[in-house]
Amino acid sequence: MAAEFVTAMKTIEIPVGRLSAVDVRGTRIAVTNVGGTYYAFDDTCTHEQCSLAEEGDLAGTTITCTCHGSEFDVRTGKVLAPPALLPVKVYRTRVQDDVLQIEM
Amino acid sequence: MASNYVIIGASLAGATAAITLREEGADGSVILIGAEREPPYERPPLSKAYLRGEAAFDKSLVRPLEYYKEHDIETILGTRAMRIDSSARMVELEDHRHVPFDALLIATGARNRRISIPGGELEGIYSLRTVQDADRIRAEMVAGRRAVVVGMGFIGSEVAASLQQKGLQVVAIEPAKTPLFRVLGEEVGQTIADLHRAHGVGIVLEDTVAAFEGTTRVASVVTKAGLRLNCDFVVAGIGVEPAVEMLEGSGIHIDNGVVVDAYCETNVRGIYAAGDVANHHHPIFDRQIRVEHWQNAIKQGAAAARNMLGKHVPYDEIHWFWSDQFDANLQYAGFHTKWEQLVVRGSLDSRNFLACYVNDGRIDAAVGLNRGKDVRRVMPLIKSRRTVDLDRLRDESVDLRSLQPAD
Repeated sequence: MAAEFVTAMKTIEIPVGRLSAVDVRGTRIAVTNVGGTYYAFDDTCTHEQCSLAEEGDLAGTTITCTCHGSEFDVRTGKVLAPPALLPVKVYRTRVQDDVLQIEM
Repeated sequence: MASNYVIIGASLAGATAAITLREEGADGSVILIGAEREPPYERPPLSKAYLRGEAAFDKSLVRPLEYYKEHDIETILGTRAMRIDSSARMVELEDHRHVPFDALLIATGARNRRISIPGGELEGIYSLRTVQDADRIRAEMVAGRRAVVVGMGFIGSEVAASLQQKGLQVVAIEPAKTPLFRVLGEEVGQTIADLHRAHGVGIVLEDTVAAFEGTTRVASVVTKAGLRLNCDFVVAGIGVEPAVEMLEGSGIHIDNGVVVDAYCETNVRGIYAAGDVANHHHPIFDRQIRVEHWQNAIKQGAAAARNMLGKHVPYDEIHWFWSDQFDANLQYAGFHTKWEQLVVRGSLDSRNFLACYVNDGRIDAAVGLNRGKDVRRVMPLIKSRRTVDLDRLRDESVDLRSLQPAD
């Protein structure tokens, strides 16, 4: 199936610095807003399956899963600190009018 | 510049040091010596996901074995180091090989305390440190069987939880008033006792094991107070001691582990220690501290490597660890031995709280149950050594980040 942009939420629901989770086509995706840029990534931490939107602390573009301290770069999904070993999947985003869309 | 970097202990601390040496420019040989046959691995899953059969062993490897070859790290596994000759700058291995060093890291870790009471030699009595230990316990883990766990420190508590989760009937015995009493105190320890009871673990407190009984295999545990607990097997988690016997005669100062300064260096120049075995000078708390934590193994292993490379960086990490038991996530940060005040944010009874160990108005340490964010956010307050407004600390409507010192 070709990738396409799917409406996730209204941008007003996700102010700067906020983390939020949304179900898009059966996948739980975390969304954040870093200085007006939206990032989307799998909500489930690759270490022990905590919800990054619920347990994550965001500083700049680094999200710390506060269950066990794993850190990821929200732009790339790359692991910045263990115990997680695997990156989180990231998704492209775009804004159409006042709506945030995620490429699935 | 040193050219032969040798690390004794293919542990998380040792492996992290080897990786850091290579990543940060070591241009000589890097040799990692370990008594265990496996490539370096992380131990936290051994009492939890691995023990329950939910995670494969290779998920615990610090790096795949090929990594070491690719990065020109020589591994000598399954081989115990027996002796250090500090003046000849040489390590002797059990196969009588001599390995010369210019800079040496001791990361030998700790070993489990042995239980020395009547019947202790019976079959079916286990302790947990290595993956083989975990495999032996796993082989006993059949739903419906009866297990006795001796000791409710972190390992005992985690093992008791994992066994119960796999459908065994578990009784845990702890000499103190509550689980985790020595570190966390009675109020917090009580919440852990309640957690275990709520999940069906039988808890016997303020009592100790007097004897194990059975013919060849353990069949029951008899306590000092006179309880007799029938069981199919026993897991003892009664603490560890630093693995230092190979250092005898080396001239390296030993006192509750290998004594090192804030730069991870021993009294012998060029010889360092990190991880469970290292009793290090903590610049923030201005005292010697030895801990047995996953995070310390990584951070101190890396710090020691940097100092072996001559970077002269003090190791001042705020110690931190987690312990998952049943559906509860416990995290601890800082360092404390006693406390004037326990300041609780949240509710002990509902097992959702941050409890801060406070002396002179400063937070020395904090433990959170299902409060990962609060633990993260309190760490800068601990590190700052500043006094904090305890009413605001207690107030759930105050974001802990707003209590940070200005600089």
